[in-house]
Amino acid sequence: MAETPIPGGLAKTPDPAGPARPSTPPTAAQLATLVEQGIELVSAGDRADLRKRLDQTLRRLRDPSIRVIVVGEFKQGKSKLINALVNAPVCPVDDDIATSVPTLVRHGDPASASVLLPRADAEPGDEAALERQPVNISELATYVSERGNPGNARKLVAAEVFLPRKVLAGGLTVVDSPGVGGLGSSHTLTTLTALPTADAMLLVSDASQEYTEPEIRFLKQAMRITPSVVGVLSKTDLYPEWRRVADLDRGHLSLVSPDIPLFPVSSDLRLEAARLQDGELNTESGFPGLIGHLRNEIVGKAERIQRRSVSQDLLSVTDNLRLSLQSELAALEDPEGTPAMIAGLEAAKLEADDLRKRSARWQITLNDGIGDLIADMEYDLRDRLRRIQREAETAIDLGDPGPTWPQFSKWLEECAAAAISDTFVWTSERSQWLAAQVAEHFSEEEVALPVLRVSDTGDALDPVDDMPRLDDGKIHPMQKVLIGMRGSYGGVLMFGLLTGVFGMALINPLSVGAGLLLGRKAYREDKEARLKRRQAEAKALVRRQLDDVVFQVGKQLKDRLRLVQRSARDHFTEIAEEHHRSLSDSVAAAQKAATTYKLEKEMRIRDIKAELKRVDALHRIAESVAAEPAVAKTATAKATAKPAGSQAAPAVVAAG
Amino acid sequence: MREATSAGVADLIQEARAVYRDDLAATAALEGYATRLAEPLRVAVAGMVKAGKSTLLNAIIGEEIAPTDTGECTRIVTWYRYGHSPRITLYPVVGEPRTLPLKRVEGRLVFVLGTERAQDVERLVVEWPSESLRAVTLIDTPGIASLSEDVSARAVSFLTPGDSPSEADAIIYLMRHMHASDLRFLESFRDTEAGRSGTVNALAVLSRADEIGAGRIDSLLSAGDIAERYRRDHSLRKLALGVVPVAVLLAQSARSMRQSDFESLAVLAGMDRAAREKLLLSADRFLRAGVPEGLGAEARASLLSRFGLFGIRLGVVLIRAGFTDPTPLAHELARRSGLDPLLAMVDRQFHARADALKARTALVGVETLLRTSPPPEGAGHLAAALERLQVNAHEFRELRLLAALRTTGTSLNDDLAFEAERLIGGAGTAAHLRLGLEPEATPEAVTAAARECLRRWRLVSESPLTDRSGQDVCRVVMRSCEGVLAGFAALQLNH
Repeated sequence: MAETPIPGGLAKTPDPAGPARPSTPPTAAQLATLVEQGIELVSAGDRADLRKRLDQTLRRLRDPSIRVIVVGEFKQGKSKLINALVNAPVCPVDDDIATSVPTLVRHGDPASASVLLPRADAEPGDEAALERQPVNISELATYVSERGNPGNARKLVAAEVFLPRKVLAGGLTVVDSPGVGGLGSSHTLTTLTALPTADAMLLVSDASQEYTEPEIRFLKQAMRITPSVVGVLSKTDLYPEWRRVADLDRGHLSLVSPDIPLFPVSSDLRLEAARLQDGELNTESGFPGLIGHLRNEIVGKAERIQRRSVSQDLLSVTDNLRLSLQSELAALEDPEGTPAMIAGLEAAKLEADDLRKRSARWQITLNDGIGDLIADMEYDLRDRLRRIQREAETAIDLGDPGPTWPQFSKWLEECAAAAISDTFVWTSERSQWLAAQVAEHFSEEEVALPVLRVSDTGDALDPVDDMPRLDDGKIHPMQKVLIGMRGSYGGVLMFGLLTGVFGMALINPLSVGAGLLLGRKAYREDKEARLKRRQAEAKALVRRQLDDVVFQVGKQLKDRLRLVQRSARDHFTEIAEEHHRSLSDSVAAAQKAATTYKLEKEMRIRDIKAELKRVDALHRIAESVAAEPAVAKTATAKATAKPAGSQAAPAVVAAG
Repeated sequence: MREATSAGVADLIQEARAVYRDDLAATAALEGYATRLAEPLRVAVAGMVKAGKSTLLNAIIGEEIAPTDTGECTRIVTWYRYGHSPRITLYPVVGEPRTLPLKRVEGRLVFVLGTERAQDVERLVVEWPSESLRAVTLIDTPGIASLSEDVSARAVSFLTPGDSPSEADAIIYLMRHMHASDLRFLESFRDTEAGRSGTVNALAVLSRADEIGAGRIDSLLSAGDIAERYRRDHSLRKLALGVVPVAVLLAQSARSMRQSDFESLAVLAGMDRAAREKLLLSADRFLRAGVPEGLGAEARASLLSRFGLFGIRLGVVLIRAGFTDPTPLAHELARRSGLDPLLAMVDRQFHARADALKARTALVGVETLLRTSPPPEGAGHLAAALERLQVNAHEFRELRLLAALRTTGTSLNDDLAFEAERLIGGAGTAAHLRLGLEPEATPEAVTAAARECLRRWRLVSESPLTDRSGQDVCRVVMRSCEGVLAGFAALQLNH
């Protein structure tokens, strides 16, 4: 059975030209019909667990969202790129820094816009805690631009724009992000935290010069989270030498990763082309290439992944169904072999039962892994922050921290934010790796990995209080006089009394002179003491602040890792449950079959055969859905991997 | 006063040479400082990669000699100084300096390094008979934040050396927008310099200002707005004396405009407006188009590479507005490119203070020498002389106060602090700039204004509410006012 797609698939390989495929891959609607068929089958068999899974699949199919995030340094033309892409002035464009809030542009009819606000009473990090506030689409600029909302003073989480555009139809969502590399790394952190939910990113850099070191550094960091990158060279209308720059950039990109494409575009030309309805100008703008790539590669790839996951879901459901049907059929047709078969099934069931237990090996791997990860993460965070603390203390020792305190605390915050973003990226990588490790315990087939979003935390630093103020070292003239008086008081009294012995008055030139001297000394000592105190105080503040950061961020990261643990456990337990349920159903069916009367037996055999036929048909379609694009995309490792994976599935049946 | 300071510093160096006579390295360094005092001011041009450093340098010199390119170009620190005849000298890290052959392609110099690799060359020195170089030695540096890290490292270590005064007395810092790397660099430049001598001696330039507005004709206006915002920005204010927008490419080409450029622009200006706008839609279109007839492919390419779309658009508009002769057009283009304000600023901030800046560099050098390798004897005497100079020279006090006003602030209220900054020469050291008067103000008006300032500041300083640090500020400001008065008194005596 499993062999069927291979000859069909191979027959298509002689035509390597991707787009000219003999049969187009199924659309989302066709896939939905398939899944509906599956649901029908499952409902007949009274398997609520399998039905739940297919329902989820159907939901995903009905509301596709392929997020493409536009990133880059500030002033590279990111917002204008999006405007040109959708031919509408949705993102604010300005000569000075424009975007301060991420803006999502997606398909919707009629055109509308809304801003997302955090709800005041909500817990941080909770997704449901966002409030959606519809705004007038023409006033959006006052919410998301640096001019209308400087430094995001309104504390918006994001803005959403819905536009009836063909480009966006297939679920493409384009996200405009504030530029990185500006003052303060807080924008970089915002962009990095938005990346885990993105399917791809467009790295925008203008044609005035080749990539700079900060750009490539950001690219490398971002690629660890979102490996799918498209380079965009913007403003080609302005620079005659853009071809040189494009070549240089391609060289730099190939050093980072061998297959990042680069598209030179001009947003101005595209907008002008739209205004004049000039097709030639549109071609010149370079956008058709970019849109083609977005549609074929990014959306296409996302669709391929979706097709594969749909097919995987269907395959696993049909396998589960087939298992019980086939064992019942075998028991009916061959009553002598039934006890042996039941024994085999029982053994498999026991094995599957093991997977469900808390003591299962994968559970141990998961628990140990999370434990290690938490420990490592805490160490990593502490280590990074300790280095910052040391640097800060050296800086404090070098001078008076009082007058420069505001700048100093800003510097400290930026350093801490950068350190935390590194830890987030690292933790996210490690948890993905852990999930893959756990999945290895499920050897029977390609197990879907859970979706983990550890680094999805724009607000990690929110619970940390702002740096407290430090006394700036300026003192009031009155205080100075008092300090001096306090010092001189003793002097005047001492010398006054001493000279009193010689019959002089308590206040005499000698005692006043001594008082002045001692007063000055007291003042100077006091000044030094105050500086020392300020330095000590500043150090204590830094220590307390970083402690606070470790405490709060550590807690958040721990919570998130626990969430990872829980969702991974639920995910894999569900798989184990399904498997177990199928096996026990099979045992029950086989047992029932052994005791059925002959007449009923024949009817049942007919029923089962008919049912099996339907299940097999669905199974074959599901296989072809997954195999088709993989083979069509040239016979690479992917193409061979897929049939191998589906061959593994019948092996379970054979075991039963 | 100024002569006194310079002479004092020269004497100090002589004294130091006597003290260090047995130390060869120290003597060499001191000799270097002594010659520097007599040489023109050294101004380094620095910035991130592709900010337009070499282009600006050409614009200031008024001749296109420094090589520029679309890719990263300047990889070696290159000095441009005045010389009677053109000459290029290569100073390797190890070995004797040698003269390079003088090779020019389309006017620009080509440095034929031969077998030498860029990292083995300490610097190139270009001597050039240009009037602009008589008063100032310009230093072109490789870009910061380059992908080839050793190139950036070379620029940073040249400008902010760890253990000696910087080779540059002042710096013109180019940036396209204020990037975090820009601030980091300026901070480290100030830290090495001002940490020891307390000055701010950097000018920030918003280069490629035409590109900020995507080459629109009003680009420089919005660049001006952005520069104004940066000027007020606290983090930049304490690092730079001012921010000026300059369209460097246009500035360079306007200063060296050729007759052929003018003719090409005139042909374009003669075109129909709609057709011209369509032609100038993109660089590619301009190069490819067949119209107008009078413009060959080569002329197009040269015009575009020299002026950019913004320069062409502006040039055409100006010709249509009545600048029909090459010379006035070139002047107007240079004026609009923002080069003039920059040159004026350099003049006010650097040239007027050249002696003080040079003297300060020398003092920092002697001080470092004293700290790192104390002489066997005579150190105390030398240190005392050094401190006397540093404390007494009014120029240094002005520079120090200027830095203090811009960084940590003082106890004075904002209005007074602002006025103090102007009076001690924050906007330039000429009398009318200090007093906030028009350049054509009569000597009587200037004297009267100076007297008035002096009286007001005396009142401030005598007020019981002014604390100690405030009084220090007042003293420096009053001294500056007196300096203005004394200068004019001398002038009137001579008449």
